[in-house]
Amino acid sequence: MTVESKTDFATFATVQSMAHESRYDREKKMAEGANDAELLKEKANKYFKDKDYENAIKYYTEALELNPSNAIYYSNRSLAYLRTECYGYALADATKALDIDKNYIKGYYRRATSNMALGKFKAALKDYETVVRVRPNDKDARMKYQECNKIVKQKAFERAIASDEIKKSVVDSLDIESMTIEDDYVGPKLEEGKVTQQFMTEMMDWFKEQKKLHRKCAYQILIQVKDVLSKLPSLVEVTLKETEKITICGDTHGQYYDLLNIFALNGLPSESNPYLFNGDFVDRGSFSLEVILTLFGFKLLYPDNFHLLRGNHETDNMNQMYGFEGEVKAKYTAQMFQLFSEVFQWLPLAQCINSKVLVMHGGLFSEDGVTLDDLRKIERNRQPPDSGPMCDLLWSDPQPQNGRSVSKRGVSCQFGPDVTERFLEQNKLDYIVRSHEVKSEGYEVTHSGKCITVFSAPNYCDQMGNKGAYIHLRGSDLKPEFHQFTAVPHPNVKPMAYANTLMQLGMM
Amino acid sequence: MAARRAFTDTDTADEAVRATCDDASVCKRFATSKSYWKDPYIQYFVRSVGERKAPEINRGYYARVQGVKYLLDAFIKKTECDCQIINLGAGLDTTFWRLKDEKLMPRKFFEVDFPTVVARKIHYIKTKSPLSKPIIETHSTDALLLDGQSLDSDRYCIIGADLRDISNMDEKLKKFQLDPELPTLLLSECVMVYMTPLQSSNLAHWAAETFHTAMFINYEQVNMGDRFGQVMIENLQRRQCTLAGVESCQSLDSQKERFLRTGWEHADALDMITVYSMLPQDDVARIESLEFLDERELLQQLLQHYSICWATKDKLNLGLSQLTF
Repeated sequence: MTVESKTDFATFATVQSMAHESRYDREKKMAEGANDAELLKEKANKYFKDKDYENAIKYYTEALELNPSNAIYYSNRSLAYLRTECYGYALADATKALDIDKNYIKGYYRRATSNMALGKFKAALKDYETVVRVRPNDKDARMKYQECNKIVKQKAFERAIASDEIKKSVVDSLDIESMTIEDDYVGPKLEEGKVTQQFMTEMMDWFKEQKKLHRKCAYQILIQVKDVLSKLPSLVEVTLKETEKITICGDTHGQYYDLLNIFALNGLPSESNPYLFNGDFVDRGSFSLEVILTLFGFKLLYPDNFHLLRGNHETDNMNQMYGFEGEVKAKYTAQMFQLFSEVFQWLPLAQCINSKVLVMHGGLFSEDGVTLDDLRKIERNRQPPDSGPMCDLLWSDPQPQNGRSVSKRGVSCQFGPDVTERFLEQNKLDYIVRSHEVKSEGYEVTHSGKCITVFSAPNYCDQMGNKGAYIHLRGSDLKPEFHQFTAVPHPNVKPMAYANTLMQLGMM
Repeated sequence: MAARRAFTDTDTADEAVRATCDDASVCKRFATSKSYWKDPYIQYFVRSVGERKAPEINRGYYARVQGVKYLLDAFIKKTECDCQIINLGAGLDTTFWRLKDEKLMPRKFFEVDFPTVVARKIHYIKTKSPLSKPIIETHSTDALLLDGQSLDSDRYCIIGADLRDISNMDEKLKKFQLDPELPTLLLSECVMVYMTPLQSSNLAHWAAETFHTAMFINYEQVNMGDRFGQVMIENLQRRQCTLAGVESCQSLDSQKERFLRTGWEHADALDMITVYSMLPQDDVARIESLEFLDERELLQQLLQHYSICWATKDKLNLGLSQLTF
């Protein structure tokens, strides 16, 4: 055991002098009270000027310890937090400053800036509005208000535009023809620019071995599938003949090896083995790209017998948070993700089979009276709105009790058996099939058989231990037949955006 | 030359357990960077924010940190800081520094972990002044006791020891002025589950024997008898990490039993869903708006399988058994 003097450590030497200083400071503080808070603030201000924000924050914090009801200290620290991109803390400090002194103008500025940084433009605008009202002659205030207002309006405009395509497509800026495939690429290629059965088999094997498809092929697939999808109505109507059947799968969420297992159990897609995948193909799972390119490939190969519907995870917000955007950016480019985003916007929202069975990812509507015709008319080439039928189709959930409730998800609603009953009656349907919720048995029948949930991502997130399921629907009787399956092993690959959930779980 | 001991299975298992301290601190680093709670010190133990973690993980850690903090702070306030705290399997925890900042320091704060973990922590403390300053400031003399496996000062002490070798740990703690007369809080977070039920019972027993007025807070898995438990065990096995103590994690009752059987007077346990619902709800609302959670099931399931269990004995009649959420 060694006894080391503090001066033995390089840092301890400086620390020791600081320790002495602060002992002195402490005594001084006790004698002199609030003045020292001011001194600390001055010190912090100086650090701030020198762009040493960490120290500025430190000293503002010390000033606040001595004088916790000083709005200026909070406001200054808020600005320092802004500079270090701690927007949450910046917002909290600005709010605290205003709690202490609601007439402190700088506080409104700070809070507005924090909100701007957090993308909360409407909230920021409110605060700018306050400043302008209190200081009508302040040019700077007015300018900030106008700038913010512009952004708010722009966002509202972006949200409101329909399929006008004012936004320029990535397709226009891509020159596929001049993309070359290097000689050393031995992976699958489209044959004369087309997806063939051979290509699909090769690609699925290629993916199974965790290899990457050449970006030219990926772009070719995306451009072609965008074209195919854009020609479909928002409500796709299919007819199953007496002797035909279709397989309906729910969420797959990037679980590529489980998707391969579905094909192993149920046969590869073909004209005589049609499939409908009901959204949420990407995000959370580690192999979202492999899943989506496979599904898109089959869509191109069997356009009339392979169907894809949009899920709430085929949207920008979800992709940004839950891994798909990160995965595409890592394996390919941001531009390719942009194209995926455009393609997702063209995915149809619902499918009606033999005019009797309606399939959608989420569920039914926040209001009565929605008809199939309304669904046909939805202009879907956009990110889903915060409310309305398009939002409900992707987000709602059934509930056991009658009526409607606020959704546990904070978006859309929960709808009861009576809502389902009325909707089916009005539209002369037998039942709905939806997905969107993980179920331990892979499927669930509710609302007296009128609302069926099917979920096809077994052992979801490597955590839930649930079974997956798919539904066989025959044209002869349209009665759902359920098939369950369990998870298969997959390579231990870290998902793009997340350290593997399962690992963190154990360590909590 | 002495024969080198072969690297055994238990060594691999221990190594995997040690690695869990990084999982925890990395996740806490990310969660604090997203403003789930404030921890200005974690950045000195984990430099970069790292990859994004799933929102349910962030919320789970929030519940853990806030839950433990609630009970810990309640104990300190009840004893008016006239107490000591022992963090068993502390890893890179920053509670000591938080308590110093919030002026809630106990008479002495002890941390125990494997020697390699402790050596790392001491290295960080030595080289980062925001970590060393509070320790030095609260030390009365010019010199700190320091070697590769321990650091001792008036208010903070960290020692390298194996929690399964109780007599050795006890000896080291007493060497550094552990006072059995002081009301003592013992804390273990995801620690007991990595040792056998016998070893963890011994630990609980040692604590009950050593202190007459104490609280033991244990955070770890619970309800492990179901499918989720199975999946977790399988997942961890793939990482060579064995949950040797999973038997005690079958239910809230089995968690409490471990303490009641070993000399503790009173025990309570709650799963984290309950704890989450008992935390200040305005702050919960705040953190729930930080990130959108797409599948609530994931969070529910997670919270259902973790618990806080706290046991008390109260010779001084401080009213410790009334401390609750």
